Amino acid sequence: MLRYVLDRVKSSVVVLLVVSIITFAVLMIIPGDPAQLILGTEATTEMVEELHAAMGLDRPLYQQYLGWLNDLLHLDMGTSYVYGESVKSLITGSLPVTLSISVFAMIIAVFFAFLFGMLSAIKKNSIIDYFSRSIMQLGTAIPSFWIGMVFIVYFGLKLKLFPVSGFVPFSDDFGGFIKSITLPSVVLAIGETGTLLRIVRSSMLDSLNQDYMDMAKVKGLGARKIYIKYALRGALIAPLTIIGMQFAKLAGGTVVVETIFSLPGLGRLVLGAVEHRDIVLLQGLVMFITAMVIFITLAVDVLIMFINPRIKSFQRGE
Amino acid sequence: MMNEIMNDADNTVILKNLHVSDSMGNTLVSSSSITIKMGEIFGLVGESGSGKTLTAKSLINLLPDDLCCSADEMIVAGKNMLEISLREKKAHIGKNAGYIPQNTVFFLHPMIKIKNQIADGFIDHTNKNKKEALEKAEGILRKVGFSNPKSVLNYYPWQLSGGMRQRINIAMALMNDPKLIVADEPTTALDSTVQKQVMELFRSINEELSISILLISHNLGLVKNYSHSLAVMYAGAVVESGTTKSVFENPKHPYTQLLIDIIPTMKIKKTEPLAEIPGYVQEKGRDTKGCLFRDRCPKAMEICENYVKEHEDGGHYFRCNLD
Amino acid sequence: MKKNLSIVIGIILILLILEMWGLSFAYMPYPPNEMNISERFLKPDFDSEHMLGTDNFGRDILSRLMYGSRNVLLVGIGSVTLGTIFGIALGAVAAMLKKAASSVIMRIMDGLMSFPGILLALMIVTVAGKGLKGSIIAIGIFMIPVFARLVYSMILDTENLLYIKAAKSYGTTNRQIFFRHFVPAMLPELVTQYSSSIGSAVMIETSLSFLGLGIQPPYASWGLMLSESRQYFLTYPYLAVAPGIAIIITILGFNLIGDGLNDMLINRRSHDE
Repeated sequence: MLRYVLDRVKSSVVVLLVVSIITFAVLMIIPGDPAQLILGTEATTEMVEELHAAMGLDRPLYQQYLGWLNDLLHLDMGTSYVYGESVKSLITGSLPVTLSISVFAMIIAVFFAFLFGMLSAIKKNSIIDYFSRSIMQLGTAIPSFWIGMVFIVYFGLKLKLFPVSGFVPFSDDFGGFIKSITLPSVVLAIGETGTLLRIVRSSMLDSLNQDYMDMAKVKGLGARKIYIKYALRGALIAPLTIIGMQFAKLAGGTVVVETIFSLPGLGRLVLGAVEHRDIVLLQGLVMFITAMVIFITLAVDVLIMFINPRIKSFQRGE
Repeated sequence: MMNEIMNDADNTVILKNLHVSDSMGNTLVSSSSITIKMGEIFGLVGESGSGKTLTAKSLINLLPDDLCCSADEMIVAGKNMLEISLREKKAHIGKNAGYIPQNTVFFLHPMIKIKNQIADGFIDHTNKNKKEALEKAEGILRKVGFSNPKSVLNYYPWQLSGGMRQRINIAMALMNDPKLIVADEPTTALDSTVQKQVMELFRSINEELSISILLISHNLGLVKNYSHSLAVMYAGAVVESGTTKSVFENPKHPYTQLLIDIIPTMKIKKTEPLAEIPGYVQEKGRDTKGCLFRDRCPKAMEICENYVKEHEDGGHYFRCNLD
Repeated sequence: MKKNLSIVIGIILILLILEMWGLSFAYMPYPPNEMNISERFLKPDFDSEHMLGTDNFGRDILSRLMYGSRNVLLVGIGSVTLGTIFGIALGAVAAMLKKAASSVIMRIMDGLMSFPGILLALMIVTVAGKGLKGSIIAIGIFMIPVFARLVYSMILDTENLLYIKAAKSYGTTNRQIFFRHFVPAMLPELVTQYSSSIGSAVMIETSLSFLGLGIQPPYASWGLMLSESRQYFLTYPYLAVAPGIAIIITILGFNLIGDGLNDMLINRRSHDE
């Protein structure tokens, strides 16, 4: 058990290192000189060189990388030149927004995906199954920006049920907080429900075909016990893994939805950094987000291991 | 006629003319009848694909959803299964029948501890609480040969060996004091010493608690040793049935005769190949009026194509155009 | 046919889009970028000259939609093809090379895959630049690891099969084995993955152009059309209807084909067993 956890931690660290190399390398080959970009076109050659030295750009690449990595490990991600603020404080400022809508979206998605996924597996080829499979297909095919626009107009501007932009912090006004994250979360949830529903349905179908279901039926157990205690319990592992990955993905910034609803979250920071080619900010964001995602995935895997004691006897291969 | 002389109450199972077909209309089991007396071990023998599992499963309401079955009569543990609602059927089976499947890991739910699955049926069908249920379970586990029932209850199924899992299955089937236990190839996946232990356990359950056991097996030797009566199935139909003694001493159907001939014995010489019946069990055309075995039968006649005669004599039944 | 309803529906949807795409080379009602201020915000009317209406610059929406299909398909199919080629190459090299090299390649693939959502694509767009080329490169790189992993694991799975071992014992070279044995064996899975990947590539392309990082104005792209319609959407909701539906049809079509192919694969595999 411990060995499995250690293995997982080890491979996560390796992946994280690879990610840091990719991030560093990709953003190093960016055309244009960052110092020039910061100082503007009027800057003299001396000024540019001075800044080079100050930013460490005159050192060999590997030294630059190690220096950057060292700073990262000390949680020093540099200063954004667009916002003129430290990357760390920018991230801490926007994280709550993104986390709020991600958590809320996942709660909605999990509820509907399990409800319809289970029903459609139990009543295979019934109307509810076809309905669920349509949600499954449409959920993954409808772009969030499109549904977001529709929601803004109908629920925000026409019916005036929800604000159409901005974020109200949790501590300021709880009702306002809920209202401000409802629409974005629902929009995010639509896409995630489709994906999750597919997994719930297929692993539920798989579980329903297992031999233990025969035993449960012979015992004459009630439907609730048969489907929840036996079938669902046998069908949990795959959906839980997916939920972990989906949450990690959402928490890593929901660029499109944050843009439509003008929410000051991580995704907006990313977009700003991309638009202004703010390399320091982008590197910091990418590293922070990816590390968070890898960490969440790791945590979910370990959690699943505790739920599923069988994993001990199965060596999880590639 | 045996059935008419005996009172129905003395039989745990009466099944007449069972017919099972799939959604495409293919016949899988046709005109099969068995009668299991109270307190006997009844063997159901046949090659794989002969319909023995389907026959047993239709008794305990466990046929897959895409198969449908009909019968002239189906009485299980005193209730006519053809006349009661699905709901009543489930409750009746749950209370009065136990099922012991082929030994695989997944018949016990791999993610639920033994103590949380052994007693569910009992709790559902009686007004007992979980504590009482577990006390009963401990007693039964001890009976099926566990010296440490308390700790066994805390295990997950995969922490136990195949033989132990099978004994847990048996214990689970015994929880409701059933009248009938259906055991489908209960020892196939076990090694031979464990096989013997499990079979002896069945015998002692049968003798001590007088529970009827429907023992499904492709192993004629095993059935000969342990059952009181038996039925031989071929290609979806019962071709011969009767007491074990009369069937083995006086096999009537050519298929039964061949099966008995090929039981491996200790006297077999090392160099001698094991005997076999040439040909395969057919999948199609099971709804024929003729004899299903005719293509492999050494004694087949022309008439077997369209007609097969049924004989019944003192409880010994067979269907063949020979006398 | 009944069994594979998803493929049938998927193909019908994609044919619709392809028809629009093909037609755009032969005939478009108006030049897609032609502005006409006097004919702004005309409502869709099938009997009029502007069947799907006009936008805020008086440009014909149908023509822009047709022109946009070129960009969507070019980026969608182009990027996935790019990703497939590099993915197969990297996966095959990793599977056939010795341990160290293979693990370096596969760890890089793991790394690429752990960037969540469109973050990797955004990062590459920053480097490769906005526009058509940048989108193709960004989405192409995004697609590489999926194919590399698929090919890598399939080769490792088939490598131990007897006929491959037999071929090796005859002295067949790796390259011959790859093209004669692995490629035919892998083709069904690759085609399936290819089709579903185009669905996600189209989703990313439209997202990028919606965010203003894809195709640049005045050229038409469905995502961009939606983004431009945002400020007029309340008054003129029809502006967002046509591009939205076009995007949904395209993604749905490719996903359905992918799903249908996948079902066929699963059926085939279960028959093999």
